[in-house]
Amino acid sequence: MKTVRVWFSKTGAAKYISHLDLTRCMARALKLSKLPVWYTEGFNPHIYMTFAMPLSLGTEGLRECMDIRLTEGIDLTEAAKKLAENLPKDIAVLEITEPVLGFDATAYAEYELSINSEEPQVLADSIDDILSQDSIIVMKHTKKGEKEFDIKPHFTLLDKQTGPGLLRVKLRASCSQEGSVNPALLLEAVKRYENVELYAEITRIRLLTKDFSDMR
Amino acid sequence: MYPKEIEKILQKVQKPGRYVGGEIHSVIKNKDEVDVRFTFCFPDIYEIGMSHLGIKILYGAFNQVPYFWCERVFAPWVDMEQQMLEKKIPLYALESGDPVKDFDFIGFTLQYELSYTNILNMLKLAGIPLRSEDRHDLFNIVVAGGPCACNPEPLADFFDLFFLGDGEEVDIEVMELYRQCKKEGVGKHEFLVRAAQIEGVYVPSLYNVEYNPDGTIKSYTPKEGAPAKVCKRNVNNMDGAYFPEAFPVPLIEVIHDRVSVEVLRGCIRGCRFCQAGFLYRPFREKSIETIDRQCRALCASTGYDEISLSSLSTSDYSSLNELLDCLHRWTEKAKVSLSLPSLRVDNFSPELMERVNSVRKSGLTFAPEAGSQRMRDVINKNVTEEELLRTVNVAFAEGWTRIKLYFMIGLPTETIDDVLAILELGKKVVDAFFANKEKPRGKPVEVSLSAAAFVPKPFTPFQWFGQDSMELLHEKQHELKANNRSRRVSVSYHGAETSFLEAVFARGDRRLCAVLERAIEQGFHFDSWDECFDFARWMELFELCGLDPAFYASRARGFDEIFPWDHLDYGVRKEFLIEECKRAYEGKTTPNCREKCSNCGAACYKGGICVENR
Repeated sequence: MKTVRVWFSKTGAAKYISHLDLTRCMARALKLSKLPVWYTEGFNPHIYMTFAMPLSLGTEGLRECMDIRLTEGIDLTEAAKKLAENLPKDIAVLEITEPVLGFDATAYAEYELSINSEEPQVLADSIDDILSQDSIIVMKHTKKGEKEFDIKPHFTLLDKQTGPGLLRVKLRASCSQEGSVNPALLLEAVKRYENVELYAEITRIRLLTKDFSDMR
Repeated sequence: MYPKEIEKILQKVQKPGRYVGGEIHSVIKNKDEVDVRFTFCFPDIYEIGMSHLGIKILYGAFNQVPYFWCERVFAPWVDMEQQMLEKKIPLYALESGDPVKDFDFIGFTLQYELSYTNILNMLKLAGIPLRSEDRHDLFNIVVAGGPCACNPEPLADFFDLFFLGDGEEVDIEVMELYRQCKKEGVGKHEFLVRAAQIEGVYVPSLYNVEYNPDGTIKSYTPKEGAPAKVCKRNVNNMDGAYFPEAFPVPLIEVIHDRVSVEVLRGCIRGCRFCQAGFLYRPFREKSIETIDRQCRALCASTGYDEISLSSLSTSDYSSLNELLDCLHRWTEKAKVSLSLPSLRVDNFSPELMERVNSVRKSGLTFAPEAGSQRMRDVINKNVTEEELLRTVNVAFAEGWTRIKLYFMIGLPTETIDDVLAILELGKKVVDAFFANKEKPRGKPVEVSLSAAAFVPKPFTPFQWFGQDSMELLHEKQHELKANNRSRRVSVSYHGAETSFLEAVFARGDRRLCAVLERAIEQGFHFDSWDECFDFARWMELFELCGLDPAFYASRARGFDEIFPWDHLDYGVRKEFLIEECKRAYEGKTTPNCREKCSNCGAACYKGGICVENR
């Protein structure tokens, strides 16, 4: 028995399916691919799968990962190809590797927000202003209702680029098993401090460890 | 692919996965390389529509033809509809993302009466004129099929044509005719006149209706060569009938998230309340080889780990044990489980239960339909109390403790004693549990009794019956609840109001088109959903249109009355239905098709059980 890590992207139509739906979809694809995957034992055996960090509904992921177990040794390049053939077109398999780190090594993730704006430079400046504050308080929706939350310690701005009608913001946010911060909260902050409602497409580019290196 | 403009609104709606397509096996073609584009519109949400077997069969059958392209459309839920209206985004198809109004055919399935407002609302969202007479050109043609097409009159003004009976062949013939007409430059009217000559096609505009002073039908007169009787289409050879080897596999969880393979069509039983039991005659089975091949193909293409062997009554399949043996040869190894959606009280056995994963251990459902033996004889539900008790005892011994029983109230000749017999039956099931020596320990027995209000339907022996008034139904519901003395028994019932409205449209005529048209103007939709159903507003609409809904729902008809569906022919003779109606009132049962032919008329198709040796 060997644990392997499947790296995949989830874009386009697939970004609108929930984490639970993703697991069902992966289970069907693994079954179709006929890879020697390990099934859990018990009354209702199912394919063993575990995901590093679930994505929010509507957020694209360019390099996500999940672990499965193989009951026989096989060529991982070949396995990746087989799995890819059986997934919907908007879920692509990038590679299958042997895991180096445990999922608990995940600490941050890098995101890109493409924000629609008629005046992208003005928006870029106000985001700078907001991020330079000592604390950035937003309302966070939780299971227990709304509560105030400071995003300042969780967000690091990496890059900004303006284009016609568009501002691209690259940032790093906390993303770990202890807790993750949804980058969409940046938009909440703009709403709160600048009173503008924004629409953005959000992409999770990669998962990072606590020293900002790539998850492996 | 979904249109780019909806990206923004998808962030604001529940379950956006309903609106984006992108499933494996969804069929993408080049629109410039096909001759006829068809949208299959299912008038309910994605999760319900994608659970429907008919759409999968027809989607596959149409797309198999290289020059046809069939796409899917589902009703957007109210939040999405609101967003689409605000952003002026017209209804679009999931495969191409193109607006529905760009399609040659806009096809609906008529599954239940309360979906009629959704159907017309979808046309409205697509920006297509509702009335057939307001659509002048060959492009677009609006069509429908499915069980409610047996009395499509409340929708007659909106549809260009209806498909009656099995759709696999006739739909394609009509699409071929359209393709020909498009090439020849033939107009819509001529197309419809020609289509009316195809067996199984009903063109409502080719029939003049006259009414008697009392509001009943005087006559239907065909014109321009349309047939006086429109015969349903019947596919005799189920082994030869088209069945898909793949279908779009939903990315989000749907109601029936599994492979569904039809094992037979029709039903031998002849329960007198059941419309499907008469519409789909004769009873036709697929061979074991065919079912096995289709199960294998669908598992291999979808990755599902459950197969539902579906039909009106799968346990009536004549070689069920051999079929299960055959499937078990590979399903166990492939970690695929089998399920039977419809279990009958009279052939439930531990052996069968071990071999199918029909239900979780938590609950078992059966439908005795009526509480007293007298009532069950009236409706020809040939199930006895002894059989039910034997069955629940088997279930208890096998570890089940929750039993759900379905009943109807408001059946013909029903008295309050018949209604209360439902409770007695529930109590007997509880008693059986306590008397059972092999019952599971430590778990309490729970029996839930669910009572639906009976809706008389066309083409059944009860098509003449005046539905119980809502007051009477409410009284019966109240009696059920009030007289329940057992803590182990729970009673639930559902909507006398929705059943009343269903009864109106089930046996309605063309004058109801006016009501539906107004309903759409006023924003009615999703009437089968409690959160949208507003009975008082419906009653206002009837009043506004000067129509009495009780005329359609509650009025008892005479055997000599001409019905709005009498010019449609489903093989079963009206004389047979009259005989059955009389036998019902005499409390006489009728044997099932396997025991003895009752000469209903369906033998005219020369197929299935009608020609097999019994």
